[in-house]
Amino acid sequence: MSAQFNITPVSPDAAAKTLAPDPRGLKFSVQGQPDYAFLSVQIPANQTLKVEASAMATMDTNLAMKTRLRGGLGRFMTGESIFINEFTAQGGPGEIGIAPGAPGDLRHVYLDNQTIYLQNSAYVASTSGVAVESKWQGLVKGFFSGESLFLIRCQGQGDLWFSSYGGIIEIDVSGEYVVDTGNIVAFTAGLSYNVTKVGGYKSLFFSGEGFVCRFSGQGRVWIQTRKVGPLVSWVWPFRPSKK
Amino acid sequence: MDIQVVHRPGNSAAKLTLDAGESVTAEAGAMIAMSADVGITTTTHKRGSGSLTKTVKRWFAGESLFLNHFESRRAGSEVWLGTPLPGDMTSMTLQRESLIVQGGSFVACESGVEVGVGWQGFRTLLSGESLFWVKLQGTGKVLLNSFGAIYEQPVDGELIVDTGHIVAFNETLQFTLTKAGGSWLHSILGGEGLVCKFRGKGTVWCQSNNQRSFGTALTPTLRARSR
Repeated sequence: MSAQFNITPVSPDAAAKTLAPDPRGLKFSVQGQPDYAFLSVQIPANQTLKVEASAMATMDTNLAMKTRLRGGLGRFMTGESIFINEFTAQGGPGEIGIAPGAPGDLRHVYLDNQTIYLQNSAYVASTSGVAVESKWQGLVKGFFSGESLFLIRCQGQGDLWFSSYGGIIEIDVSGEYVVDTGNIVAFTAGLSYNVTKVGGYKSLFFSGEGFVCRFSGQGRVWIQTRKVGPLVSWVWPFRPSKK
Repeated sequence: MDIQVVHRPGNSAAKLTLDAGESVTAEAGAMIAMSADVGITTTTHKRGSGSLTKTVKRWFAGESLFLNHFESRRAGSEVWLGTPLPGDMTSMTLQRESLIVQGGSFVACESGVEVGVGWQGFRTLLSGESLFWVKLQGTGKVLLNSFGAIYEQPVDGELIVDTGHIVAFNETLQFTLTKAGGSWLHSILGGEGLVCKFRGKGTVWCQSNNQRSFGTALTPTLRARSR
């Protein structure tokens, strides 16, 4: 397994630009970065693209959609859709526009027999050579992370796109790095992690940070600048009162 | 301490780079990532200068009761700070001066800056905005956040700002709460309600969006409280 990941850098050119960062991968473009990233992928004739359920926004009429179960029974417990849609270009190439669920940024990696772990709602799309599975984090890690008990494991060969809520910050870890559990988007397989408390016991309860992920090893972590939770708690007081 | 703000204005986050032995005080819950060897302690007050009354006041100001102190053990360690809502961040350096910050907009400050809370009187209560303001005083860098983008409004003479759009202002400015229009009726019907009238010489940092306006716009689409 190669240690070097083929991570596509973000184009400083905000205008739509078609990329094919790896000659083995598909052509695609990303617009609206970093606040409202939107992905367009060109699917060659008779090839198939896996896309997160309900993320398709536009598509050519020669694309045929098929819905499949994703990753088995574990899916039921993640709170995410257990379905994944497969779009196949019939009789010629076709283009599909994909809108991630949350306003935020998007990244592309070409996996070359490599593995990347995604936070549960970060998956956007991948080509057929990439296996997408739920990975049980273990009760302790999953429970204390305050997030999901599952991660999504993407491995194999092909294109992978994932998205965030908020902006994305890339951190190359060499040694150790601490990330708030709610801010993790994705990380490469060379890293291992522990869910630990930050600081002492007083910090555990009162710092507002609670449990954090302590990554160690060599690899990259993608983190998001926002969390959905604080937005939801802020909206809460604005609910109307029942008559 | 070096502050670099990325992804402005919508998804802003700040990267603080600390020297060995340097420390920074931040709002509880603001940390999104950091170097593994940064020490963190949580207190109810700024270290060495706190009291319980200050803590309770800060709580009323919409800030957390607790502050986190990050301490670097080597040069170049990093702390990333984010904001709870979509919006901007800005940093500035205080030189033996005071800055009044709207409750909720304080993110972090260097150790030379004291975090206090100023009581702004009962009139503020009427404005429906935060009752308390955070007072940052001393010398060092401070980091603020906003709902929407931050823009500076220099004041030389007088300036009127809607209370929901104030992020911070120099303490050199005096302010009074007043009605926006010619009459109280027009001010209330016009949706402006109370505004701040600043007087003097200094700067007001404003935010492009008003939290209360956005929140009330969402109200009809939200599920009603159960009781």
